[in-house]
Amino acid sequence: MAIEDLAFLIPILPALAFVLTFFLGKKLPSGGAMIPIAAITGSFLISIVITINMLANPEHVISQSYHWFSILNLGILIDPLAAVMLSMVSFVSLLIHIFALGYMSHDKAQSRYFAETALFTAAMLGVVLSDNILQFFICWELVGLSSYLLIGFWFEKPSAASAAKKAFLTTRIGDVMFLAGIILLFTDIFKLVNGTIPDGVYLLRFDEIFSFIPELSAMTATILGYEISHLTIITLLFFGGAVGKSGQFPLHVWLPDAMEGPTTVSALIHAATMVTAGVYLVARTFPMFLAAPQSLIIVAYVGAFTALFAATMGLVMNDLKRVLAFSTISQLGYMTLGLGMGAVIGAEAVGISIFHLINHAFFKALLFLCAGSVIHAVGTHDMRQLGGVAKVMPITAATMFAAALALAGLGIPGTRIGASGFLSKDPIIEAAYLFGEHGGSWFPYVFAIVAALLTSLYIFRLLFMTFTGEPRSDYGGHESPASMTVPLGILGVFALIFGALTTKVFNGFLSTTFLNDFVHMDFHELAGLGGYELAHTAGHHEPLLILWMPIIVALIGLLIAFVVYYLKLIDMSDIVSRNNPVYKLLYNRYYQHQIFTELFSIKFIYEGIALAGFYLEKSLDWIVSGISGFIIEAGEVLKKAQTGVIQQYATAIITGVGLLLILVELVTEVF
Amino acid sequence: MIPLNCYLGLSAIIFAIGLYGLISQSNGIRILMRVELMLNSANINFVAFSSYNDDLTGQVFVLFSIALAAAEAVIGFAILISIYRMHDSIDLSKLNLLRW
Amino acid sequence: MLPILSLIVLIPLLFSAITFLTSTREQARMSALAGTLITLILTLYMYFTFDSTTAALQFEELASWIPSLGISYHVGVDGISMPMILLNAIVIPLLVVFTWDDVRAAPNRFYGLILAMQGAVIGVFVSLDFFMFYIFWELTLVPLFFMVSIWGGPNKDHAAIKFFIYTHVASLVMLLGIFGLYFAAWAQTGTPNMGINYLIEQFSFIGSGMAKDAIFLALLFGFIVKIPMFPFHSWLPDAYAEAPVAGSVLFILLKIGGYGLFRVMLPMLPSTGTPSLMITIMGVLGAVSILYGAFLALAQKDLKRMIAYSSISHMGYVTLGCAGLVSLSVSGAMFQQFSHGLIMSIMFMSVGVIQANAGTRIINELGGLAKKMPKLTVIMMVAFMASLGLPGLTGFIAEFLVLTFSFANVPGYVIIALLAIVVTAAYHLWAMQRAMFGVYNEKLGEVVDLSTNQVFPMTVIALLVLYFGLDPSPVLDMMITNSEQIISLMAVLGV
Repeated sequence: MAIEDLAFLIPILPALAFVLTFFLGKKLPSGGAMIPIAAITGSFLISIVITINMLANPEHVISQSYHWFSILNLGILIDPLAAVMLSMVSFVSLLIHIFALGYMSHDKAQSRYFAETALFTAAMLGVVLSDNILQFFICWELVGLSSYLLIGFWFEKPSAASAAKKAFLTTRIGDVMFLAGIILLFTDIFKLVNGTIPDGVYLLRFDEIFSFIPELSAMTATILGYEISHLTIITLLFFGGAVGKSGQFPLHVWLPDAMEGPTTVSALIHAATMVTAGVYLVARTFPMFLAAPQSLIIVAYVGAFTALFAATMGLVMNDLKRVLAFSTISQLGYMTLGLGMGAVIGAEAVGISIFHLINHAFFKALLFLCAGSVIHAVGTHDMRQLGGVAKVMPITAATMFAAALALAGLGIPGTRIGASGFLSKDPIIEAAYLFGEHGGSWFPYVFAIVAALLTSLYIFRLLFMTFTGEPRSDYGGHESPASMTVPLGILGVFALIFGALTTKVFNGFLSTTFLNDFVHMDFHELAGLGGYELAHTAGHHEPLLILWMPIIVALIGLLIAFVVYYLKLIDMSDIVSRNNPVYKLLYNRYYQHQIFTELFSIKFIYEGIALAGFYLEKSLDWIVSGISGFIIEAGEVLKKAQTGVIQQYATAIITGVGLLLILVELVTEVF
Repeated sequence: MIPLNCYLGLSAIIFAIGLYGLISQSNGIRILMRVELMLNSANINFVAFSSYNDDLTGQVFVLFSIALAAAEAVIGFAILISIYRMHDSIDLSKLNLLRW
Repeated sequence: MLPILSLIVLIPLLFSAITFLTSTREQARMSALAGTLITLILTLYMYFTFDSTTAALQFEELASWIPSLGISYHVGVDGISMPMILLNAIVIPLLVVFTWDDVRAAPNRFYGLILAMQGAVIGVFVSLDFFMFYIFWELTLVPLFFMVSIWGGPNKDHAAIKFFIYTHVASLVMLLGIFGLYFAAWAQTGTPNMGINYLIEQFSFIGSGMAKDAIFLALLFGFIVKIPMFPFHSWLPDAYAEAPVAGSVLFILLKIGGYGLFRVMLPMLPSTGTPSLMITIMGVLGAVSILYGAFLALAQKDLKRMIAYSSISHMGYVTLGCAGLVSLSVSGAMFQQFSHGLIMSIMFMSVGVIQANAGTRIINELGGLAKKMPKLTVIMMVAFMASLGLPGLTGFIAEFLVLTFSFANVPGYVIIALLAIVVTAAYHLWAMQRAMFGVYNEKLGEVVDLSTNQVFPMTVIALLVLYFGLDPSPVLDMMITNSEQIISLMAVLGV
């Protein structure tokens, strides 16, 4: 039996685990956690075997389609892109589940927790191996549902219930755009085939979609006086979905609040299962983006802006998890920027972006699990009350340091020596440089470099404030149990060396994503459809300064953090005060809460439109009651004719008969 | 032989008298008497046409009508008596309990 | 061959009479359960012998009734009516089980009315003669009127009379339309005939375009008030909110308005004087209802009224799907009727339980119920998620089909509907957050969870929502077969 035949089990096993744990978990030890762990182990083993097989023969992809209903299908597509994602998602999710064994052991509802995380993993695995855009969307929505359930896991806390709702609604805005994109795409393709579809052909499968790119790019619509191709509209709508799920500006507002759930859930959301889905969507439909350069430019700008924007906020947060949340947004910005660089380097952009995604998954999961370990031990996540934690939790501190190195991206340029984050972030920044050099704007590059400086600054600020110095409050902690430290150790190793081990093969492997027996795209032709040319990157050498720039700014960030937060040579109390407008702006997160939640959602949508509707409804009701009221009033008036006096009735009858006679007489005379 | 028009004229005069009384009076008994007059004017018409057309149906109808008028008078007077017992008057224009 | 269609109409009516004559609660509910179960078995038998590959009428029965007026006893099912009958036959026995332990005045009349309602609604779905159709159509008013006016909430009298008069006036306008059609056809052919399909055929031969438009609009008015569509919906929130739980569920199962669109309006559409105007009317009404219902639901403070407005919003998809004029969009609209019936049944049952056990259904007076009512929370979550269109549940299939396939013909209205999706999610989740999550409101006292006889029907319906969400083919295929036929006839007529 070939391993391909088991591929369908990858999402099915965790989904079954969800059902079993949900209904039976309460009766089993530790909330039935072993069921999802076993199921995800199974998924991971299948994924890794498939990946290893595929490494040897990347042109041979796994593609299976089954009829669903009407003209739609369900199916599996595992190409190099999906294979690495599957392995990463199942692996990181597995480690987080094992970590949660210890972390959630005191929670009464742990069976619900493990059921929901299993569903979360199943949905994300489903997203990754979808072979058509509708199935992709379905699993994508299930990811949203699971995140809603998990962020609101402690639903008795009003803030958790509120954060869950906010996450679901904010991503839903993106989802609607994604759905609109699918609808437009489907309608266009349906029109192109004249509504006749051969048996066994499913229009929403990725290979079919890609084969219609030239036609889609030729269809244009005029919006606000600009002529825009349908392909551009569709890709922008898809990107809208990605912006919601991947927390890009301006739909990133849900992500910092999403830490209301257990920390392990944050780790799942931020590293493995949810936020990466948006980046993956763009990567999966990348040939469409390549033929729509305007969309790619917007992708690049949004990504670069988000990377910097989130990093500035990460700088001033005092909550351990909140710093990490903004760090995630910022890193996702890098991935998005990397994809946007497809405008110069073509399909290679998928490789560098996904490489960063994978590395980020390792070190961000690690960062969150370390934070969870700290919170589990000391019971607070306010950094101002921590300090000197390294003494009581040496393993946690060491692994956190490894993760910080990876996040800050420290390594030696020009070699393969460096933490994972370095090896994947550097190519993105270099691509941004290329973009500037090839006539694009320099903004992405500048933003990326400044963000790199801030990244290093905020992560080492977090590290020094939490783990070094003297304890600033009486917390009394202990090192976490082995079920928690072992996953930390494994992830720590991955965060440090995974990049170095795989950087050589990774890009080559992913470059076959769109060049295999499922789809075979000609990237230069796609670029030609978009009216531009790809740059020739082979043998290209940047100036030495540019090559060293990321590492220099990272070291500067480290140095500033070291001086300010470790040596405490500079007194920050003047800068860190409510009187400093810049600090205030950052600390209040650019007043997003006020703008998005209070002004837009409550004032405009609820009080403005909904209540206006309420009054419209009142007036509609008034019209209906008005009609019935009029009839009743008319009756009130007309009943006065019934005087009850017989003489008057008799008079009326006689008059009436008389008039009738005259009328008949007149009528008969006329005719 | 007396022409038909004479009967019709008599009937019309009686009907008009009855109608005038019906409209102008408010005493219950008088109104009932006026109604009888109008009914009988119609009976005259029936009989006259019946005799001129050689068709007995009209006269049969008149018998019905007289019987009905008698029944009607009985019920009418009974009502009037009970009204009189309640109100000490049979002035129908003052009876407006069921009015709107 | 069993006259199965006559039986599934007559058995509920017969058992309704029997139930009226019973004297104790025990007898009344047993008789109701027996009647609905027999109907369910017969319907299931019919469903499994039903051939979903043909658009032709099946299980047809035809007998002359009043020949001088061309009225006949004519019943039959096809892919349009079969799922609707199935929906009724499944949900109503479960409704009887759900109300099993309720203590209320006059249980014999209560269950008698439920059965009468079932017979009348199924009667509408199987009728193929306008005379019968209209009789059953009006018959559905009676049980609902008494349901609201006897067992309703504090404002029941106003709600009942408003519902009755409003929809009755609409039915009379529809009757005028039927008469117009009937006499016009009589004048053309010289023979009277009340057959629905016959009259629809004759409709295209009416000479004057104005007359055709007038007939069409009169019929359309009757149907859209019943669905109901903005701006003719104002009877609905009052009636739904004041009705007892069983009454609300019966209202939900009253899918005859949308059914009329598929059975009568769509086949007539291409022959009207100005089809594009009619499509615009349906599209605008559908899209505006979706958006308007969603915003109004957001503004509600009463959970039951919120669901009532959400119902208006969802039914907008039915009209929008009809305006889409592609076989799959029409099938989506049919499927939306089916799915909406299932989902809303659970929603109203949930609200009924909340009101009975917590004593209020004002959202802000609730809070943290999830802690005390975990079973209800799980089932309600399924219903809410289905209602906001989560993939994997029935609501998504219907909305996806309607939105996707209507886009080609009426893109503007689809965009309006898309705007409503976020609002739809917002009011569902916001209500869930305030009523079920957060800190438990101690003022509510001790609140108990669902009892077994309530869990069972709600779970069954929730599982059906999940099942048809994953595999809609068992009902969707027959809908597609019939809507393809409707649309292909349109293509012949050149629309």
